[in-house]
Amino acid sequence: MMCPINGKESAEILLDYCAQTLDPSRVAELEKHIETCGDCRTLVAAQREVWATLDRWTPVEVSPNFDARLYARIAQYDAAPQWKQWMWRVFQPAVPVARWKPVVTLFAACAVLVMGLLVHMPDLMTPHQQVRSEKVDIEQVEKTLDDLDMLIPPAPAS
Amino acid sequence: MEAVAALERDAELMLRVRAGDEISFGLLLEKHRGPVVHFLYRMVQNPAVSEELAQEVFLRVYKSRATYEPTAKFTTWLFRIATHLALNWIRDGRKEKGQESLSQEVLEGTERQVADRRQSVEQEMLYEVKLREVREAIARLPEKQRAAVIMHKYQDLGYAEIAGSLKCSESAVKSLLFRAYETLRARLAHMA
Repeated sequence: MMCPINGKESAEILLDYCAQTLDPSRVAELEKHIETCGDCRTLVAAQREVWATLDRWTPVEVSPNFDARLYARIAQYDAAPQWKQWMWRVFQPAVPVARWKPVVTLFAACAVLVMGLLVHMPDLMTPHQQVRSEKVDIEQVEKTLDDLDMLIPPAPAS
Repeated sequence: MEAVAALERDAELMLRVRAGDEISFGLLLEKHRGPVVHFLYRMVQNPAVSEELAQEVFLRVYKSRATYEPTAKFTTWLFRIATHLALNWIRDGRKEKGQESLSQEVLEGTERQVADRRQSVEQEMLYEVKLREVREAIARLPEKQRAAVIMHKYQDLGYAEIAGSLKCSESAVKSLLFRAYETLRARLAHMA
């Protein structure tokens, strides 16, 4: 067997072995290796010590009124109007981050789009203004031509 | 096989909760109340806060019942909510605010545990010092390493479940655990 400390699987095999969750078929193989490998022996011994030390930390007892307090909060939630329940579900979802990511991205994309439109607004106005100015020019040309017509003396009657 | 049965059982109960069965919610609460409170207690190291956060976990489970889909193991989902709330609480910096007032509570709890063991005063003091060192060693771990170690050591969760709770890959969890235990081996070596 290849030494787990030097291999890719080191973390998994040695941690599982110390936690007694390693597949039984691999235990014998690993124990055989540990007998001959000083580094693995030292690591396993140290890990077991840590494991035993962590066992000293026993959990606290749950308060006897835990359930009563929870059910009171649930009753408060159930009694709230539908729109309020909906608001709570939206703003306090069970696992919030992932659900909000696409919304934030979409919002950011919309904001960029709106900003882009605002920045380019003068350019959007230009063709309209150009059409208007072209209209004025045509009117002026027509007026000038009329004026010119007036200047031309009428042809003599034959 | 047993794990698959447990998965089916919890998911089935949650689906019943979705259908409006309050008894099933009670059964889920009965089964997971202790593990969730203990996990949160070890994460935030504050009994009152851990209960408050555990209440929020179960309340969120209840609120989300209508949209629940058994896509992952129920415990993975439950511990993902718990981890999210614990990390938020730690990041919010509320830890410092509550630590002073509640450290007394922690000590009282410790004293009770010690007293129950009927040890001599000297042994009690030694036990208390060692316990505090264990707590501090875990508290000083980076957040994700801390969560991974607590779920691995105390909650008996597998790599896949821890990965699901922390929203990372299984290989990342193995790496987190190896580094965390490496740090703990160094910090707690003198207690051996």
